[in-house]
Amino acid sequence: MASFVPKSAETLEEERLYTTARMVEVQCLDCLAKVTAKKNSDHHTSIQWSAEARAACPELCRRTPTGGRDTHQACPRMTASIDAAVRSGEIPVGAEDGY
Amino acid sequence: MWLFCDGNQARLSGCSLSDYPQNCNVFYMSDTRMLDQGTTPIRFARGWHCLGLASTYSDGKPHSIEGFGTKLVIWQDSKGELNVLDGFCRHMGGDLTQGEVKGDNIACPFHDWRWGGDGKCKEIPYARRVPLRARTQRYETAIVNGQLLIWNDPEGSAADHSILPPELPEVMTDKYTDWSWHTKQINGSHCRELIDNVADMAHFYYVHFAFPTSFRNIFEGHTATQFMESTGRPDKTEGGYSDANSTLKSEATYYGPSYMINWLTVDYKGFITEVILINCHIPTGPDTFTLQYGIAVQKPEGLDEKTVNYIAERYTESFGDGFLQDVHIWENKVAVQNPLLCEEDGPVYQLRRWYEQFYTDVADIKPEMTDRFEFEVDTTKANEYWHAEVADNLAKRAAEEPVSH
Ligand code: FES
Ligand SMILES: [Fe+2]
Repeated sequence: MASFVPKSAETLEEERLYTTARMVEVQCLDCLAKVTAKKNSDHHTSIQWSAEARAACPELCRRTPTGGRDTHQACPRMTASIDAAVRSGEIPVGAEDGY
Repeated sequence: MWLFCDGNQARLSGCSLSDYPQNCNVFYMSDTRMLDQGTTPIRFARGWHCLGLASTYSDGKPHSIEGFGTKLVIWQDSKGELNVLDGFCRHMGGDLTQGEVKGDNIACPFHDWRWGGDGKCKEIPYARRVPLRARTQRYETAIVNGQLLIWNDPEGSAADHSILPPELPEVMTDKYTDWSWHTKQINGSHCRELIDNVADMAHFYYVHFAFPTSFRNIFEGHTATQFMESTGRPDKTEGGYSDANSTLKSEATYYGPSYMINWLTVDYKGFITEVILINCHIPTGPDTFTLQYGIAVQKPEGLDEKTVNYIAERYTESFGDGFLQDVHIWENKVAVQNPLLCEEDGPVYQLRRWYEQFYTDVADIKPEMTDRFEFEVDTTKANEYWHAEVADNLAKRAAEEPVSH
């Protein structure tokens, strides 16, 4: 049961846009992790991990499983992989009306 | 965009159909964006909630605190354990918080029924036996960093100690000042307003008078983190973030729905201070909650006790002011289920998706609510505009000042 219930169907569509629209699949160049990512501008990045991707990333797995402050940092290899995907044009840079 | 009239539009536009909304078939066209205020949840979040410093409750007397739509009674038993029960006696509804601690139990002021920390009625002094069903709502407890936490779950699960907030090394030793602890009642807004701050980059400029130069979020499992670096606005002086001579590195993590640890490194003209801010709350009703915050400051070496305490008090005051800046906004805004975002905004929708897990039966938690999500906000353009605005403000102020000869 959802708890914060939107009143309109349009809200649900916007939730979908803001959370999943234009997310592009990126394969890590160093491990088996596959995430989806988006670049609204050069300095912006959005990265969605799945449980499988998270488990496949040796960098994140090495860190303290819960509570440790180091899990709050990005994986540098995934960051590099996303940068590479931007350079090769796989990830377009630019936003669409705020999402 | 075509919308179907739900009666509300009819009322607003003075609809002439007398039998709206039942038989109203009027569609109307509009480019106006509507605020979807949604419906707030009737349940309270699952997870650990902090009731404040454990020492507040350790005097052998019953204590009262509002929480989860009721009143809770808290007392320390002879073994030094803190116990938390629903404040209202299951006999005839007496207020246990006005009772007395007798032995290890809390005794009701109405007919002296004695309730144990395990939630069972242990004794009815005037009765032959205690009814078997004499069990009340009990909250499991934990002490972390000198604070009393209780587990709330509408589904009634056992407390999950593996997701308690971490112990802070060195805090509560002589390396840090004692917790300076404060409480503030918030009326007229759901506690999700407070959570939204985690993803809200721009409000740091407008509400807290700082330039957020770097802003990043990571949500994963039961944690949600905000990284921010900021410097104060030279055209403002109010609140914890506005000092133009300080730069701030802030890392703030929610451990569950209501308990945030904020590690702050303040660089004031090269003088570095480590500050730990706890920001936690207890929901009290559908649109009320009690905010609690505590501050401990790492004692700078080579300073005497008096100076250290003075510094700690200043930080407590300024971050306290920071909360008040937010409170004023929350108490006057409306709830919005469909926030309209621009490119410079943080991931509000993903944050709320994360927060939803605490209002969902465990069996219904969707993977995307807990899967790791990272977001870096592009603050470059925003800061360009803001610096220009501040320069403008300073120039205007200088022009207004009387010229001295
Ligand atoms: S109501 Fe508490 S003892 Fe009767
Ligand atoms: Fe704020």
